[in-house]
Amino acid sequence: MEAASVRAGTPARRRSRGIPERRLAALMVSPSLILIAIVAAYPIAYAVWLSLHEYSVRVAGLSRWAGLRNYTTALQSSEFWDAVKTTFIFTGASVFLETVIGLAMALAMHSAFKGQGLLRTVVLVPWAVLTVVTAIMWQTIFEPTLGFVNSLAGAVGLPNDTVWLGESPEALIVMIIADVWKTAPFMALLLLAGLQVIPHEIYEAGKVDGATAWQRFTRITLPLLKPALLVALIFRTLDALRIFDLPFVLTKGAHGTTTLSLISYETFQTNRILGLGSALAILTFLIVMIVSFIYIRFVGGNIRGMAGDE
Amino acid sequence: MRVKHLLALFGACALLAAGCGSDDGGGGGGGGGASGDTGQTKGAKAVDPAAADSAKGEATYCTGKDTSGDLIQGVKDFNKANPGIKIKLLEFPESADEQRNQFIQRQRAKSSDCDGFESDVVWTAEFASQKWLQDMTSFVEKRKSEFVPSTLSSVTYENKIWGVPRVSDAGLLYYRTDEVDQVPATWQEVYAKAKEGKGIVYQGASYEGLTVNFLELAFAAGGSILSEDGKKATIDSPENLKALQFMVDGIKDGAAPKAVTTYMEEEARRTFESGKATFERQWPYAYALGNAKGSGVKGKFAVAPYPPFEGGGKAAILGGHNMVMSTYSKNPGAMLKFIDYMTSPEVMKSNAVKYSKTPVLTETYADPDVKKALPFADQLKQAVEQAKSRPVSPVYSQISQAIYKNVNAALSGATDPQSALKKAQSDIDKALATF
Repeated sequence: MEAASVRAGTPARRRSRGIPERRLAALMVSPSLILIAIVAAYPIAYAVWLSLHEYSVRVAGLSRWAGLRNYTTALQSSEFWDAVKTTFIFTGASVFLETVIGLAMALAMHSAFKGQGLLRTVVLVPWAVLTVVTAIMWQTIFEPTLGFVNSLAGAVGLPNDTVWLGESPEALIVMIIADVWKTAPFMALLLLAGLQVIPHEIYEAGKVDGATAWQRFTRITLPLLKPALLVALIFRTLDALRIFDLPFVLTKGAHGTTTLSLISYETFQTNRILGLGSALAILTFLIVMIVSFIYIRFVGGNIRGMAGDE
Repeated sequence: MRVKHLLALFGACALLAAGCGSDDGGGGGGGGGASGDTGQTKGAKAVDPAAADSAKGEATYCTGKDTSGDLIQGVKDFNKANPGIKIKLLEFPESADEQRNQFIQRQRAKSSDCDGFESDVVWTAEFASQKWLQDMTSFVEKRKSEFVPSTLSSVTYENKIWGVPRVSDAGLLYYRTDEVDQVPATWQEVYAKAKEGKGIVYQGASYEGLTVNFLELAFAAGGSILSEDGKKATIDSPENLKALQFMVDGIKDGAAPKAVTTYMEEEARRTFESGKATFERQWPYAYALGNAKGSGVKGKFAVAPYPPFEGGGKAAILGGHNMVMSTYSKNPGAMLKFIDYMTSPEVMKSNAVKYSKTPVLTETYADPDVKKALPFADQLKQAVEQAKSRPVSPVYSQISQAIYKNVNAALSGATDPQSALKKAQSDIDKALATF
């Protein structure tokens, strides 16, 4: 009703100034659209274009149309499916652990006590460390002869001759540990923000009604934290699916740690097979898209549904 | 409404894509005539040796980070001696992969950033076949007899010479003089002694270094990687199996620690220097470091060229760097003069004495000052002389991956030697079939 009255009033005024509102809006968003086209749409379109061609690695400047051949080559190679498997195992395990540990950290940071500010700062330190530095650090910790882990294992009488980064699945486990150490604080930070918007009154009402601490956690905290939790999950899952730096530094992809990003890099950059490398990158892109679509479809609906409930 | 916007966006993308498409089509047409398996370098630009005489102006030499400082010093001295010429040094990152990326990106863009480039010995075939290098045959031909012959094989591709060797490198066997009385006569003896003592360490991680470590033993055992014409993989052979089985058994029965499957140069060096190994396969750079303050083996080790493999012969793998010239150089004369200077006997000698750089000229090894600075000069010369090149191919990076990934899998026990070589064979054949 209000809209109608506004519409009735504005056209005359707008017209008198010269530019219709719609066109003005289009004009105002066009700089950002052009920017997006340049930095996002063009590279993606170009990668698609590359992936449909073959560029010779032996003859200078020779290229030919390949159609979908690069994609069929990729989908038929066992390396690709091994990388898919590794990437998903890594993503599943690390995101699950990060969520559980991050939630615990967030709850600890949320409760009021002395030194709370200090705790929040300290907890965030791993997140501030560069991934490459994190990788080198964990590499040192798991070094077979001089590293901390094997020395400790030896001191307490456990087998201390494990070559952590030289065996499968140990290498992948180290990679997951390093990632969890680094990004659980990020998870905690996002969840802490979610915890802080839950009104105190609800907990007090719960207490008055005789709810135990566990009941308050499962019946109040978790449902109300869900939107923040889901946003954090989307962030971390998409990030983990693109993991590159950890395996690159820790193992260079040996011993079952070759991820999707790593084989795209190796094919495109190191071996200069531009077509196949682009096809692998596009496939990675599609996988990430599908996963985010699933999240938004099922999880995004939840967020909206909950907003409606309140 | 939204659909319309999306369509508009895709329309724009399609236009953009079509735009770059026509560029590519043009580029592709240019090289189309050069297809076929031989003669990919036909029509490459050749240097004019006379251009160096009248050279003047600026030129840039690109290199990986000059950690030892010999190039920085060389450029300084050269510029002082040649007032009409100014050579500039452009340093790339330290890692070999990154240097290669940086150079390739510039050459692809036909950039004249680098008039010359410090190229690793394994990159010659790839760069030459992409027509990124100038044919230096006429220049090197005159000085051919000065070089240790093996070093020239690393700049030769399709019977032409594509650069001038500057620094060589060949692995040596480091051994503890307080634990071993004399150099073992064969690799088998080395491993047997290693088993009795504290073991042998080498570079067994999944990277280029393992390709070198494996080839040293495989070539000594009589194996090969590619057929004579370079068109077929020959890695799945009884000789190579003997070499790989030997390495795998070495780890199994304790001659080498399990951890070598994660070792690169530095890990091996640290282990040896902390006194935890009797033998080490290592490059010459570790000699000075091993005798430096803080090393646990100072004065307690010596080096030797590799012994033969039982039932086979001797072999080493050539490392080092060559000076190459870019097709897109705007001042080839000045660069050529600089290259001639840097590879001259005088500079070669001072680089060996001051920076422990392995010489490529035969006469440098005999120099008394060099012998004093590098007490192992004779062993080093033998090692360089018996060194063979890694497979020469434009798809070398893929071939090397096929070797180090599968050998590493066998060493760590993830697969057995026979199937590792079978897989390497099919991987290399696939690499050779790359368009």
